Amino acid sequence: MAIYPDPTALSGGPATTAAGPTPADVAQADADVEVALESLGQWQLAWRRFRKHRMAMVGLGFFVFMVLVAIFGPIIVPYDPLNIPGSTIPGGMPPSLAHPFGTDNDGRDVFAMVVNGARISVAIGGISMLIAGIVGVGVGAIAGYFGGWVDNVLMRVVDTFFAIPLLFVILVAARFFGEGQVTSLILIFGLLSWPIIARLVRASFLSLRESDFVEAARAVGVKDARITFRHILPNAIGPVIVAMTLIMASNIVLEAFVSYLNFGISPDQTSWGNALANAQSALGLGNWWWAFFPGMAIAITVMAINFVGDGLRDALDPRTRL
Amino acid sequence: MTQYIVRRVIQAIPVLFLISVVSFVLMMQAPGGPAAQFNQNPHISPAQINKWLADWCLVRQPTVMDTVREYLGWLGVWNCTGGSFLSAHGLPNFLPAFLGGGTNGILHGDFGYSIETGQPVLQMILARLPATLILMGTAFVLWATIAILAGVLAAVKRYSFFDQSVTFVSYVFYSLPTFWLGLILIFIFGVTLRWFPVQGIVNVRNTPAPFATSAYWAAFAANPLPYLYDIGAHLVLPVVTLIAVSIAGDSRFVRSAMLDSLHQDYVRTARAKGISERQVIVRHAFRNAMLPILTNLALEIAFLFSGAIVTETVFSWPGMGRLYYDGVNARDYFLLMGILLIGSVLVVVMNLVADIAYAIADPRIRYD
Amino acid sequence: MGTPPPPDVLLDVRDLRTYFRVMDGTVPAVDGVSFQVHRGETLGVVGESGCGKSVTALTIMRLIETPPGEIVGGEVWFNGRDILTLSSDEMLQVRGAEMAMIFQEPMTSLNPVLTIGDQIAEAVVAHKKVGHKAAWDRAIEMLQLVGIPEAQRRVKQHPHELSGGMRQRVMIALALSCDPKLLIADEPTTALDVTIQAQILELIRRVQEETGTALLLITHDLGVVAETVQRVVVMYAGKVVETGTVDEVLQDPKHPYTEGLLASIPSQGLRGTRLNVIRGSIPNPFRMPVGCRFAPRCPYAFDPCRDHEPPLEGPGDGDRRVACWLHSRPPFGIEHRPRYGTSTATALAQRTAGVAS
Repeated sequence: MAIYPDPTALSGGPATTAAGPTPADVAQADADVEVALESLGQWQLAWRRFRKHRMAMVGLGFFVFMVLVAIFGPIIVPYDPLNIPGSTIPGGMPPSLAHPFGTDNDGRDVFAMVVNGARISVAIGGISMLIAGIVGVGVGAIAGYFGGWVDNVLMRVVDTFFAIPLLFVILVAARFFGEGQVTSLILIFGLLSWPIIARLVRASFLSLRESDFVEAARAVGVKDARITFRHILPNAIGPVIVAMTLIMASNIVLEAFVSYLNFGISPDQTSWGNALANAQSALGLGNWWWAFFPGMAIAITVMAINFVGDGLRDALDPRTRL
Repeated sequence: MTQYIVRRVIQAIPVLFLISVVSFVLMMQAPGGPAAQFNQNPHISPAQINKWLADWCLVRQPTVMDTVREYLGWLGVWNCTGGSFLSAHGLPNFLPAFLGGGTNGILHGDFGYSIETGQPVLQMILARLPATLILMGTAFVLWATIAILAGVLAAVKRYSFFDQSVTFVSYVFYSLPTFWLGLILIFIFGVTLRWFPVQGIVNVRNTPAPFATSAYWAAFAANPLPYLYDIGAHLVLPVVTLIAVSIAGDSRFVRSAMLDSLHQDYVRTARAKGISERQVIVRHAFRNAMLPILTNLALEIAFLFSGAIVTETVFSWPGMGRLYYDGVNARDYFLLMGILLIGSVLVVVMNLVADIAYAIADPRIRYD
Repeated sequence: MGTPPPPDVLLDVRDLRTYFRVMDGTVPAVDGVSFQVHRGETLGVVGESGCGKSVTALTIMRLIETPPGEIVGGEVWFNGRDILTLSSDEMLQVRGAEMAMIFQEPMTSLNPVLTIGDQIAEAVVAHKKVGHKAAWDRAIEMLQLVGIPEAQRRVKQHPHELSGGMRQRVMIALALSCDPKLLIADEPTTALDVTIQAQILELIRRVQEETGTALLLITHDLGVVAETVQRVVVMYAGKVVETGTVDEVLQDPKHPYTEGLLASIPSQGLRGTRLNVIRGSIPNPFRMPVGCRFAPRCPYAFDPCRDHEPPLEGPGDGDRRVACWLHSRPPFGIEHRPRYGTSTATALAQRTAGVAS
C-alpha cells in the first residue's frame, strides 16, 4: 500500500511545490525530468546538457572549423594541390616556412592537399551519413511498424549486410559504380551503412510499441500513423543521431582507405585519401610528413566527430540527469 | 536450448541465401558474363571451358529462366548435365558427392577458375588461408584478452588513473584510420628503428621455398624454432595495426558492460555474503558481463575480416585479404566471388557458434 | 571513541552520518541517526522513500559505495565492537556471517547464471570451515527451513525458474545460512503480491523465533510494522523523529509526521470520507530546511520549528522519544503556540487507531 499517493490527486487541494528529485528515488526523479523536459523543449534541454560536455564542445568547435576550412580554405591557400611545379624534388621537401607540411614527390604542397582534401572528405562523410540516416530510419520504421513477415524479410537483409565484410563490397562497388566519382562513392557509402540505423530504429519501435505512453496514446484513440511519427520516432532519434555521427566518422576513414588503394577518388581530385595514396613509398625514404599530415587531419577530424557523438549520446538520452 | 539454436540456424538460412545471391550477381557482373570470361581466359583449354559451361548451365545469351538455372547450377542444387534436381545417381543433387549427390556448383567446392592464373579458385584461396588464419587467430586472441582485461580493470578501478588512461588511449586509437596507423608503425618501427620486418609473412631469403608450400612445411617441421621466430617477427606490426583500433572500441564496451554488471542487485547480494572482492568481481560481476561481451566479440569478427584486407594490403601479407585486393585490381570475378562467399559464410558460422556459446553461458536460455 | 554498550545490546548505532557527494552537491542521506537493537529483538525502521532508512541499513553492513557515498561520522557498535573501525578484510568476517541482509527486489537480487545452491553454498564455504559437499547439504537444509518444497531438486535450479515469492525465500535461506546474530530486512515484502507478502512475513517471524536472531525490519508499510515488530524507529529526511514500542507509536503518535503517516492509511471504517495525506513532498536533499526538516509540511509548525532543530527527547527514562517542539520545551522562551489545538491531533490519531491494533 502506498503511504504517499499523489497529493493533488487524492486531496484535491493544491500541493506545495515539489522539491527536486531525491537520489534515493531515481525512477520518480526520471518522471520529474521528463516533465521538465517537455516544458523546456527537448532540443533546448539537449543543447543545455551538450554544452556541459567539455570534450564534446571542443569536438564540435574543431568540426565547425574543419567545415569552414572545407568551404573557404581552398580560396585562401596560395598553392594549387594539383599543380606540379616545373622542378621536382625526389621524395619531396621537408616542412618549412613556405611549405608548412612539406611537399610530395612532385613538389606539390602537402598543406594545400590537406586543406583542399577537407572538402571532398567532409562532403563524403556528411552526405553519405544523411543517406544512411534516411534509408535506415525508413527501413527500420517500416520493419518496426508493420512487423510480421515484412519485418522478417527486412531484418534478414540487414543480417546479410552485417555478415558480408563491407570493405569487400566497397572495393568491388567502387570499381563498378563509376570509377573516381565523388557522387558514386557517396552513394556506395550511404547505401552500405544504413543497416545499423535500421536495426536501432526497429529496436526502438519494438520496445516503445509496448511502452506505457504508446499504450496510452492508443487507448485515447490516436491513429497508428500518428503514433509512429509523433510518439515513437522522436523517442528513437537519440540513438540514431549518435549512430549517424559514428557512420560519418567511419566513412571519412573508408574514403581515405579506398582512395589510398587507388580505388576511390580519381587522382585529378584532392581528398585526404588521395593525399596518402603514394605516401607508403615515400615512407621508405624517411619522408614522414607526406603521410603524417593528411593522416593527422583524418584522425583529428574523426576524433572530433566521436567526441560530438559522445556528447550527443549523453545529451539526447532521456535517462541522463541534468 | 535446442529450440533456441534451431531458431538461430533457421534465421541463418535466408542470410546464407542472400549472400549466395550477392556473390552470384557479382560474378554475373563480369563484362559479357561468365561465359565470355571463360572464353577470354588463356589459361584454360577449350575442353575445360566447355566442361564449365556445361557444369554451371552457362549460356551465352541467357533468358530469365536461364539465369535462374545458372544460379541453381552454380549453387549445385541443379544438375546441369542431367537437367534435373537429381544427380546421376538419382539422389538430390545438393548432397555431397560421396552420398550420391552431384559434383557441380559451389556446394561441392567448385568455385570456378581464376581468370588471372587459370588455377581453381578454391585452391588459390586455400593456399592463402594459413597466412590469414595465423594473422587473424593471433589478432583475435590478443584482441579479446587485452580488451577484456583493460575494460574489466578500468571498470573495477573506476575513475582511477588507470581507468582514465585507458579511456584516453581508447579515444585516441579509436579515431585512427587503421591503414594510416600501419603506415606510421612501418615508418617508426620498420624504417627508422628497424626493429621489425614490414613486408610479407616470412623472410624469403632465409626460407628454402615460398610460405605455405609443402617444401616450406617440410623445412618448418624439421626445425621449427627459427621459422616460428621468423613468422613471429613478421606478425608484430600487422597484428598491432589490426587490433589497436578494435581494442580501443571494445575495451570501452567491456568497461561499460562491466560497470552495468557491477551495479546489479545480485552483486550487492554477493558483497552482503562477505565473500572476497575478487570472488564478487570474477564469479558474479564478470560472469554476467561476459554475455554481452561475447555477443559483441562475435559481431566484430566480420570487422576483423575487413580489417584483414586493410592490414594485409599495407603489409603485403600473403593472405586472403591481399588476394582479394589483387583480385579487384585484376577484375578477377570468380576469385572475388569465391572470397566474398567464403568470408561471409565464415562470419555467419562464427556468429552461430557465438550464439550457441551464449546459450550455454546463460541458463535463462539453456533451459528454455 | 565511545565505550561499548551493555552486552544485551547487539547493535548500537550512535549519531551515524552517511553523506553522498554528487556533482550537484552533498546529500546528507543519514544525518545523525541513533538507535539500539537488543539480542533477539525485532526493531522496525519506518519512513517514506528517500528518508535514509535503506542507506542506514547499507551503512551498518558497510555496503555503501565509496565514492559517491561516505560514512562521515558516528559509531556502529555490533556485538561489542565498533565495526566502522574494522578493516575491509575484518569486515568480510562479519558481513554474511554475523549480520546478514535481505533486499527488496527478489527478482534481481540473485545471480541469474548461478544455481541457488551455489549461491548459498558460496556463503557457507566463506564463513564456516566446511567443504563444498557440506555447504551444499547446508543449502538444502536451509531451503527446507524456509519452506521450499522439493529442496533437493530446487537447489540445482537457477533463479529464473523460481517465482518472486520463492526467490525471496531463497534470499532468506541465504541470509540465515551462516547463523547471523542480526538479520536486516530492507522492504522484504514490498515487491511481492499481497498474499505472498503475508507468507513471507510469517516466515521471517517463524525463522526468527527458531533461530533467535535479532531482526532490523525496514519498511514504509505501517501494517507490516504493526504485525511484526516490538519497537519502532520513525525516520524522516535522514533523521530519527520518533521512537518507542510499537503500541506507543502507533496508538499515540507524538510527532506530526508519524501522525500523518497513520492518517494516510485508508481505513475500512471510514469509507466515503476523504483520505488524509501529508501535503507536499520530502525536502530537496541539497537544501535541507534549517530547523525541523518536517516544518515545511507540518500543519502544526510554529515559530521555533523553522529555525531550530528539535532534539530527540523523551518524557521518561524509557525508549519513548520524539523530536518535535510540540513536545519539547521551546528554546529562548518562545511561547508554545501551535496553530491547531492538540484536540485535532488526538482526533487524527483516533481515526486510525483501528489500523494499529
